[in-house]
Amino acid sequence: MTTATAPAVDSEETTRNRRRPARPGTGAGRPGFAWAAPAAVFFGLFALVPLLLVVVLSFTRWNGLGSPEFAGLENWNKLLDDPVMVKSLWLSLVLTVLGVLVQTPLSILLGVWAAGHQRNRAVLSAIYFVPLLLSITAVSVLWRALLDPNFGIPSQATWLFGDGNLFGVQTSALGVLVLVSTWQFTPLHTLLYQGATRAIPQVLYQAAQIDGAGRVRQFFHITLPQLRNTVVTSTILMVVGGLTTFDTVLILTQGGPGTDTTNSAYYMYQKAFKSFDFGMASAIALLLVLVASLVSLVMVRLSGYDKMRSTMEGV
Amino acid sequence: MRRRPNHLAGFGSLVWLFVVGLPLYVMLVATFQTRADYAANGPLGLPENLTLDNYINDLNDGFAQYFLNTVVVTVAVVGLVLLLVPPLAYAIVRSDGKATGRVFRLFLLGLAIPSQAVIVPMFYLINEAGLYDNLIGVILPTAAFAMPVCVLILTGVMRDITPELYEAMTVDGASTWRIFRQLVLPLSKGGLSTVVVFSSLQAWNGFLFPLVLTQSSENKVITMGLYDFQTEHGVDIPGLLAAVVLSMLPVLLVYLFARRALVQGLMGVGGK
Amino acid sequence: MIRHSQLLRTVAAGGASLVLTLSLAACGGSADSADGDSGTIHVLVYGDATNKVEKKLVDTFNKTSKVKAVLDTIPGADYQSKLQTIISGKQAPDVFFNWGGGSIKPYVDAGLLMPLDDFIAKDPRLESDFLPSVFNTAVVDGKPYGVPMRGTQPVLLFSNKKVLNDAGVTAPRTWDELLTAVKTLKAKGITPIALGGGDKWPTQMWFQYLYDRVAGPELFEQAVKGDKNAWASADSKKALGRLKELIDAGAFGTNYDSVKFTDGGSPALLATGKAAFELMGSWEYSTLQDAYPDFVKSDLGYGAFPAVEGGKGDPANVAGNTNNFYSVLKNTKHPEAVAEFLKLMYSDEFVQAQLSVGNLPTTANTPKFLDKAANPEYSKYQYDLVKKAPSFQLSWDQAFPPAATTTIHQAVQQFFNGQMDTDAFIAAMQSLPAA
Repeated sequence: MTTATAPAVDSEETTRNRRRPARPGTGAGRPGFAWAAPAAVFFGLFALVPLLLVVVLSFTRWNGLGSPEFAGLENWNKLLDDPVMVKSLWLSLVLTVLGVLVQTPLSILLGVWAAGHQRNRAVLSAIYFVPLLLSITAVSVLWRALLDPNFGIPSQATWLFGDGNLFGVQTSALGVLVLVSTWQFTPLHTLLYQGATRAIPQVLYQAAQIDGAGRVRQFFHITLPQLRNTVVTSTILMVVGGLTTFDTVLILTQGGPGTDTTNSAYYMYQKAFKSFDFGMASAIALLLVLVASLVSLVMVRLSGYDKMRSTMEGV
Repeated sequence: MRRRPNHLAGFGSLVWLFVVGLPLYVMLVATFQTRADYAANGPLGLPENLTLDNYINDLNDGFAQYFLNTVVVTVAVVGLVLLLVPPLAYAIVRSDGKATGRVFRLFLLGLAIPSQAVIVPMFYLINEAGLYDNLIGVILPTAAFAMPVCVLILTGVMRDITPELYEAMTVDGASTWRIFRQLVLPLSKGGLSTVVVFSSLQAWNGFLFPLVLTQSSENKVITMGLYDFQTEHGVDIPGLLAAVVLSMLPVLLVYLFARRALVQGLMGVGGK
Repeated sequence: MIRHSQLLRTVAAGGASLVLTLSLAACGGSADSADGDSGTIHVLVYGDATNKVEKKLVDTFNKTSKVKAVLDTIPGADYQSKLQTIISGKQAPDVFFNWGGGSIKPYVDAGLLMPLDDFIAKDPRLESDFLPSVFNTAVVDGKPYGVPMRGTQPVLLFSNKKVLNDAGVTAPRTWDELLTAVKTLKAKGITPIALGGGDKWPTQMWFQYLYDRVAGPELFEQAVKGDKNAWASADSKKALGRLKELIDAGAFGTNYDSVKFTDGGSPALLATGKAAFELMGSWEYSTLQDAYPDFVKSDLGYGAFPAVEGGKGDPANVAGNTNNFYSVLKNTKHPEAVAEFLKLMYSDEFVQAQLSVGNLPTTANTPKFLDKAANPEYSKYQYDLVKKAPSFQLSWDQAFPPAATTTIHQAVQQFFNGQMDTDAFIAAMQSLPAA
């Protein structure tokens, strides 16, 4: 689960609230800053102070022993020339886009289907939900075991898997990563679409039926447009989750073969905790934060999801 | 509404059932076999002799301890979030001060920070504070990173409480605290349950913070137990998969007995 | 420069103290992490099956010592990265497990480790009781920094005797014999050599031996000191050419990068007869013993890496993990207790305990107990091999500092799967930091 739900949850009420002029004399019974302070201090300490330190560290040379030394723009220069960094950004992008392209249609279809109140749909939906009960770690571990070339399913289905070299070839290794996140996260997105579909006013369908619109037409002309906001929410979740994919890479491929599945998040971990180049790792981390926020912002703008502007204006 | 059966959708739903169900089936069947049987039957074979040894071995191998640790972490994270976030959300929604507005923006900024990005300084801070390899050192950052989403969920819910309700209580001379306790909290129940679901899943499934911030087996959480099991004796697939099943049991129990709350809570994560 | 790190420190220290205050407040001051209690030394070891022996040893030590030893373990895969992150901080152990060579060089450079000259001056057996070739692996910049613990782990060529017999192949003594064997086995539909390429370090073993056999141990010695020309030399290219021959002959099959040693994949291929050979550290024996005891009893073969015709290296040379070592942190509060603890490493009790779990110590008294080893014949073979070896090449990823490991591992994998040609591999190795 990712932390990207922000924009969707909030609503135009923010704007309304802000625009309402503070009336004098209403201070009574209103919470003061003291109510916000503990959470603010706590969050500042564990999220903002580290973020500040990341910025500082990205300009230093440090291997974890002794003190960091100021290194100017060294890390940033190295980073921009580093073919693996460029490749890792590209891989992050590929994983994200593939994830969205596979999961979105799948979860829309499943969500709309599950929104029906038939008994069999309820039962099947309950089963579909199960992968979400497992942690990413557990899911990755499970699939690594299932896809082992000698002891897993490939050994019994050579007609499908050939020699079973799934983790030794870039295409299939990336495919496995996409498959695993799809398997785990489709239920969450299905749930979002299911909820949203149920909220569509029935009148719209009744009107369409009177017009003689068929099932397919209704789907494209009523259901999909009505799900627009949910598509944005769900896509942002997928994008931020996709860009920061880490556990699956660590457990399933360790970035291999070679650097063929080394996405930016894993590359950062590798630079920090395998190569002990904490300065460089911090530069990558910062880049990751920038890319993630930029992509979210661009998506917000492109989608014209106006509801979000009010909450995002402070960012 | 028309009730013509949709055969295409029916077929599609069965295909998806296969995709979801096959791995789960293989996993369950494997956990009840001995290593030798599993090797002989293969993942798709039918088991002959069933055994519970894999589960028993895992529990004796420390998984009971990891379980307990994970429960401690989860309860503490949820507790911290519930302690800190509702007052904050209340202040954001109702305060006149500019400072709370800034705090809100701070949390919005926090949404864009993936936890991986701060892991290096986090390690440094936790280590300096003497909390390395200590569950507290896992609890604190996990709670912090669960907070932004929780703040958004709760502020969203609290904004739906109409100003008239507040004013009615203010006219009655109710204190800020009383308004919070008697009006805001009861009316935010839905949001609070989403917060509980979200933050407990974050804690239960946390991986990176425990990976970097703990090391000894006394302080291992379940995800670490699984990870280490895989790197150390990955060939014991039945044992490994039994551990996977164990790791999902509590969540499964919640799902079985409080499905509605869990599902509603998760739907809340995506907005109403 | 100074200003910046001060800023960083101030921010960090401020943050850390706040964290501390907060956590103390949050848990009512019951934080039990910082054990400031005097009277203990922390011994940090690589977490695996051998830990039960170390636990026993710590118990023995604690029976007589006032200062108590505490055994801490970190599971194998993360050992090196965890060690580096804690060694300069408050959580640093007093004594820790390592592989000597490059694995401790950065800590020596950072002034964290204690040279053991004083310990040895007081008790010369801390040096003289160990095989010199082993002891010297942990000598850095002319000073000893490690006392051997656990055992020596040469890399051997293991085989499935039944598979070889059925195919009419004998254990190869030369490179050409190996190539011929590969062809024969392949024709029979058997993967000639099992390789856990997913772990990457098993792939590296092939490089270590080919460089040794073709160019002699000197080339790598130069390279690890930072001589970049060594990698570009004719001998280096020749070694890579020989290896390429083997890969192109299909010796490793096609899916080796999806197979791992660590999850038992490659040993299973050998034991179940799907593959004929595996190049692996001496621990392969106990791994197989656990999982396939019948196979070990009847069909497991082992031998030295083949000689390469016309090569400069002595065929008696070995490569692998010379040994594991205990090194001591400079700021340990109890150096005397640590010295006493280290003396156990040549004790009879230690040697017997190690032999019983299949490890092979390299102490003067080891031969006395070889008959009582878990597998006497195998232990004797190894002991003689190591003792007679003119050179014992430390594994590349341990000879170089830990920071180089990722690059080495990626390069060996990419050379095998064809993503890197000879020149690209040489360039990758030239980019490594010197040890």
